[in-house]
This record gives sequence, C-alpha cells and structure tokens, in this order.
Amino acid sequence: MVAPLQSSDKEVPQPVILNPLPTPTAAPPRWYWSLPYAAVTLFIATMAALLWLTHRQDAEEQRATLINDVLWMEQNLSFQFERNDAQLSQLGPNLLTGNDVHSPNEGTTQARLKRALDPESGLIRILWLDAGGKVKGAEPPYTESHLVGETTDVFPSSAAYRLSRTLGRPVYSDAYAVIDNQTHFEVHVPIFEGGRYVGSVVGVYSVNEMLARQVPWWFSERYRVSITNNLGTEIAARSKVSPVSTLAYEIPFEPPGHGLNLVITACKAKGGWISLLLMSSLGVLAAAIVWSLWQLRRHMQRRQAAEQALGSEHAFRKAMEDSLNTGMRARDMQGRITYVNPAFCRMVGWSAEELVGLMPPMPYWAPEALDRTYEVHSMILGGNAPSQGVEIRLMRRDGERFDALLIEAPLIDANSRQIGWMGSMVDVSDQKRTQELARQQQERLQATARLVTMGEMASTLAHELNQPLAAISSYNTGCLNMIEHGDLSQTELTGVLHKIGKQAQRAGQIIRRVHAFVRRSEPKFETVDLDAIIRESVGLVEPDAERRGVAIDLDLAEALPPILADPVMIEQVAVNLIRNGMDAMSSTPRSERRLQLTTREHEGMLIFTVADRGQGIPPEVAEKLFAPFFTTKEEGMGMGLNICRSIAELHRGRLAFEARPGGGTIFNFSLPVTQS
Amino acid sequence: MSPSLATPFAHIVDDDEAIRDALSWLFRTRKVESRAWPSAEDFLAAWRPDWRGCIVLDIRMREMSGLECFDALLERGNTLPVIFLTGHGDVPMAVGALKKGAFDFLEKPFDDNALVDVVIRALESNARRQANQETQANVAGLLAQLTPREQEVMQLVLVGKFNKVIADELNISMRTVEVHRSRVFEKMGVRSAVELAQLLAPGRD
Repeated sequence: MVAPLQSSDKEVPQPVILNPLPTPTAAPPRWYWSLPYAAVTLFIATMAALLWLTHRQDAEEQRATLINDVLWMEQNLSFQFERNDAQLSQLGPNLLTGNDVHSPNEGTTQARLKRALDPESGLIRILWLDAGGKVKGAEPPYTESHLVGETTDVFPSSAAYRLSRTLGRPVYSDAYAVIDNQTHFEVHVPIFEGGRYVGSVVGVYSVNEMLARQVPWWFSERYRVSITNNLGTEIAARSKVSPVSTLAYEIPFEPPGHGLNLVITACKAKGGWISLLLMSSLGVLAAAIVWSLWQLRRHMQRRQAAEQALGSEHAFRKAMEDSLNTGMRARDMQGRITYVNPAFCRMVGWSAEELVGLMPPMPYWAPEALDRTYEVHSMILGGNAPSQGVEIRLMRRDGERFDALLIEAPLIDANSRQIGWMGSMVDVSDQKRTQELARQQQERLQATARLVTMGEMASTLAHELNQPLAAISSYNTGCLNMIEHGDLSQTELTGVLHKIGKQAQRAGQIIRRVHAFVRRSEPKFETVDLDAIIRESVGLVEPDAERRGVAIDLDLAEALPPILADPVMIEQVAVNLIRNGMDAMSSTPRSERRLQLTTREHEGMLIFTVADRGQGIPPEVAEKLFAPFFTTKEEGMGMGLNICRSIAELHRGRLAFEARPGGGTIFNFSLPVTQS
Repeated sequence: MSPSLATPFAHIVDDDEAIRDALSWLFRTRKVESRAWPSAEDFLAAWRPDWRGCIVLDIRMREMSGLECFDALLERGNTLPVIFLTGHGDVPMAVGALKKGAFDFLEKPFDDNALVDVVIRALESNARRQANQETQANVAGLLAQLTPREQEVMQLVLVGKFNKVIADELNISMRTVEVHRSRVFEKMGVRSAVELAQLLAPGRD
C-alpha cells in the first residue's frame, strides 16, 4: 500500500546535470496524502476485527471443548461411583453375613475389600453397619480422631443410613470436613438378603483424593477442577496451572449431590498469548508504518520544496542561458556534446536535438580548418586550453564560415568529479570583419592618399614644366611670325632669344627640383635579421591572407647571418611580393591557395623566396614586369615591382622570378651578406 | 596707358610672367594689341563694362582661378569673349565654362598661331557685337519718339496689314492711318515697311 510512495523515492540515475529537468508534475491533490493513512487505518481495523473474530471463535470452541470435557469428566466420575456402588453392594453380604472379617474363610472378602479400596476407586475407607445401624467393622480401621467439629456425631451419617435403608438403594451423604483440610462424604449401600435388610456398607470418599485420582493429568493441565459445597466454598481443587481465564463451567456434583458442585475452569490458553503477541506486534507494526509514512511525507515535502527550488533555479538559469548571446556547449570527457544553448544553435544553425550526442568531427567544423580544429579539440580535452580562449574558424549550416572565440572550463558535477568541459563561444567574425574592413579602408585611404599625392605631384610638375615650355613656344612662334612678315628687328629678336634661354633654364631647374625631391628618400642602412623582417611582414599580411583563404607556409632557415639593409624597404619588398603572390592566386581553387615563403643562404647571398600557385606569368607580361607604370591589376599603379627592384639594386641585391614547376611563379629576392 | 572705348585689347590674365610676356610678344607679331594682368584679382579690379576686345584666361592660377574669375565676370555682365587656356586634365572644367558662354578654350601645349587666330576671331566678334549694340541703342531712341497711336499703327504695319484693315481695327479713318504711317517712317528714318522690319529685327548680324 506504500508502493507508489516508495517508487518516487527511488534513486533515478541522472544522466548529466545539465540535462533539462523533467517538468515537475502538478502538486498532487490533498486527498492523495490521506490515502495511505486511510489504507493503514482500514488495514488495522480489518486486522483487529479479524483477530477479535478469531478470538471469539476460539473462545466458543474452548467453551464447547470445556463443556465436552466437563461432561466427560462427570461421566467418568459417575461411572466410577456406580462401579464402587456395585462393588460395595457385592461386598455387603460377605461382610455382614460373615462372622468376622478376619476369619480365615474371609480370604476372598479381604481380597475384595482390598480391591474396592484401590486408590483408583476413590474410596478411602469401607465401613459396614449392621441392621441396627451400628458399625460392625471398618477397613481400614479408624478412630474418630480425624473427625472435626460437629461432624463427629454424624459419622457415619445417620441421615444417609436411614435414607438408604428406606429407599433400598445407595444414598450419598453430605460432605463434611475432616482434619488436614480434607473433605469426606459417604455412600451408604443397603444390603438385603432374602428381602430382609441386613445392614449397610458405607464407602467413604475423600473429595481431595478422588480429585487427585480421578482427574487425569492432561485434564488438569487444561483445567482447574474444583469442588464447592452448597455455600460456594471451594473444598477441593486440582490444577497444575493457575486459572486466569474467566471461562468456567459449573455443574452439580452428582451422585454425591447435597449442593456439591463441580467447577471446571479453563486455564489460560496458549492461543490467547499468541494472539496477544500478534495483536501487539500488529499494533507496533501499524504504528511503525504510520510513523514511517509520516516521516516519508515529511521527506517528500522537503524533497518537493527542494525540487521546486531546483526547478525555479533551473528556470532562472535557463532563462539566463537563453538570453545569452554567447553560445554555450558542454561536452563529456570523450568529447561528445551533452548540451548546447539556443545562442549556440543560432550561431551554427543546427538544432539542439541534432547536436546533442554528436562526437567529433562536428558538422560545424570547417573542412579546410579541420586539422587545426582537431588540434584545438584535443588541446581542450587534454586540459591545455588557454584561459584567454582560442580562436577557431567554424562553419554555419549554410556553409558560411565564421570565427569564434572559444573559452573552455572544466565541468564539475555534484561529487566534485570532472564530467566534461563547458565551453562558451563568441562569434568574433563580425568584430574581425569590422577590423578587417577598417584596415582595408585605411589601406585604401592610404593608397588613395598616395595616389592623390603622386597625382598632384605629377600634375604640379606637368603644370610647372608646361609654363616655361609654353613661354618658349610662344616666343618662338612670335619670332617665326616676325620672320614671315619680314619686319625683323634684330634687337627685338635678341631680347626674345635671351628670354627663351631663360625659360629653358627655368625648365631645367624644375627638373633638378624633382630629382632633389626623389633623393630625399635615401635608404637608412642598418644591420638586420632577414627572418625577423619576414616574420613581421607575414604578420602584416596574415589577416588579409586569412580573408582570402590563402595559407602561408613559412620555412625560414635558422641562424641566418645579418645583412646591412633598410628594414623598412626590405619589409616593403617582402609585403609587396607576398601580396602579389596572393593576388596571383585569386582564381586558384581555395584548397590550393598556399603561398610558400622560404629564406636560405646561398653563395654569400640571403635569398627570400615567394612561391605561389597562380596562373604563372605569360612571356609578353614577363618582359614588362619590372617596367614602371606597368600593371596587370585593376587598382595597381604599376610601381610595386619597379620599386622592389630599385630597392633590391639599392642593396646590391637582385630581384628575379621564374616559373614554378607544377604551376605558379617563384620570386627570388637576394641580398648580399654583410662583410664583417 | 588707360584703355579707351575705342581700342580693343586682348587681355592676358596669367600669373606666370614669362607666359604673359611671351603671349604679348606673340600677339604683337600678329598686330594684336594686348594688355597683361598678373592675376585675376588685378584684372577684375580694373575691369570696366565698356571695355572692348577679348580675355585670354589661364584656368590654373595661384590665387583666384580662371573659372572663378569667369564667374565673377558673368555676374558683372561682361560681354568680352573669354578664351580659356587649360592644362592637362582641366578639359572638363573648360567644357563647363564653354557651356556657360565662354568663347573657346585651348589646351596646353597649343599651337601659338592657332591661339592668335582664336583671339582675332574673338576681337572681331566683340567688334560686331559692339556695332550691333549701338544700332539697338539708336532704334530704341527712335521708338521713344513715337506717340502711342503711332506705335500701334507701326505694330500693325510690321505684321503686314493693309491701311484699310488697320483703319478698321483701330476704328479710325484710312486717311489718319496714312498720316500715322508716314510719320512713323519719317521718325524711324526708313522709307518702306521692309526697311522698318529690318531695323527692328532682333539679333541682326
């Protein structure tokens, strides 16, 4: 009956703490709680009723048995009395007609007497009276010393003697007390011989002896047998146990009669004790059940309260997680996803149902960055994730790539055991895109500024040069006009020619000024480490490379000797060559966009090599590649490689290119090692 | 030497002295009188509405640009033809100026005699315009002498109506129309309706 309560108490193994709690069912109605109590009460009542019924039935049965036994007992006694009566009446003629009991021919009579006085018979003494009522003899002989009080006058009972003589059949006397707290009674058996009364044979019974002899042991174990006189006083009793039970039966003790009653009291039955034990254990059990129920209820209430608290806490946390813009993802120790929050789902485009339970590789891992993602994954599972997070490229369901900042923390369960990893993921692609955009804008702005400056410079230069040239031209035309018209004036002509010369000088000065301007950007040589410059250059172009999906393989020779160079210029060349390489691969399949950068020492030169997998350089382009203002790019100015070569020459180095086996171009930028 | 109404000049506005001097010399060899101005500001300060001739304006100058100078001249009602000298890349600007009424533009480097040819054409154009303006001024003076009635009659004569029709329309006698007509001819200094029409035709070359 307590089964439904027990089941709720059972420990259900919780999968992971992060799994959503089962929605708590509505609180059970009030009566739900009283149900077990009602059941217990009903149970106890039924049991009590059953016990009572059994008890009653037992009592009935006991009573019936008692009555049966009593009747049997009475029957037994009556039978014994009758037998005694018969024996006494048989003895009578012998005793009364014989002269003396002790005569020799009385042998058989003696034997009979003895037999009649057998302890089993209940008789303790036999007397025989003559017709006059006088005691003729007694066996065993007696004195009157055993008689007490007034009974001395009535032994043997004259009333019984007269009545038996009159009636001509055995008559029993009153019971009378004798010494030793004994009670005796007599039976007077009249003896007739030839229709003449010859005397009586009196048998004396001891009530106590009789009870002792006539009640069998088994009977006395069950019952207390007692005999009461007409005053209700108990005169003899036989019992081995104390009678506790109120169950008793009383019948008149016939044939003695005279108000003697045979009282049989049932001893306390063993069954009663058992039923009491049963009853009490039942009571204890019921109490225990009620108590445990109450305890259970208290426990349940506490549990319910705790559940409710947990539920609201869970709801609170869930609302918190759902409102987050940060993706949350939990994994177990094997890397299986055990939980994702809605922001994470929004980020990657897969639903929580689809993601939970998945093992790596995850569907949102970008295929091209699989190696690195695996690396990060094993790093996290190994517990070596950097605390500031790690940036990794992922893929949305629609194939769009995005950069995510991943921060992992160990997931500890209630037993302080690590059961996995909890990761928060922030989509930083927007941020990166903004940065990249800003950088590009900056770059474009600078390029534009450079262009504007260069354009302005060129324009100013053109205008400035135009002025003296135009003046010269005009002077010249004027002179020609004069010559044509014939009105030539020598002085005038001389003056104009001087002016022409002056303007030509002016033009020369302008050109000298330009040269001086160019000379202002002279290189500043210092001892530099080529590898460091290359690394710095790669750092500069890396965001751009990532944006274009170009992988840069850096293979730098270690411990290169230093070179004497202008680091800014060398960096300019490196960046230019790397950019060109990336530009060359804009139509190359994404998976093949690898730019190989190497440095090495060769015959006193340090060689920096940039190898792309682009279309290669057609011969007609190759001829003009280093020419100024030649470009294959839409936005190009055609100065890049030209400047690069100028820088190379300035450093007494070389810039050359060759076709790359397997497609693409290799640019070699060599610089002489510093002679120390 | 202050420019008078009678003398047409080619006004050279350029901030480069050599250019000014060279152009002046060039113009002189083709018998074109010129005046040179070192800046647009100087030119605008000296400018008078009754000047004759043309303006050779360099677009790119240090202070006020040629275009700004041109706009200022337009505002002041300048009638002198303006020839722009443009450098490389200033062509769109020059075209814009042309649409606003500039006479012509020449891109540097230019053929110097071609410039002189343009200047001479501009001077002629200015001279014609001047003459035209004078005639217009005369006609206006003549018209002012006519009475309102005479003007009414003249308008009707100009559209080619006969005296009879004019008399009917104005509700006067034919005789009166004839009197008015002869007085209009007399006052306007013409002998026939055709001459009158020619005199009053707008935009006469």
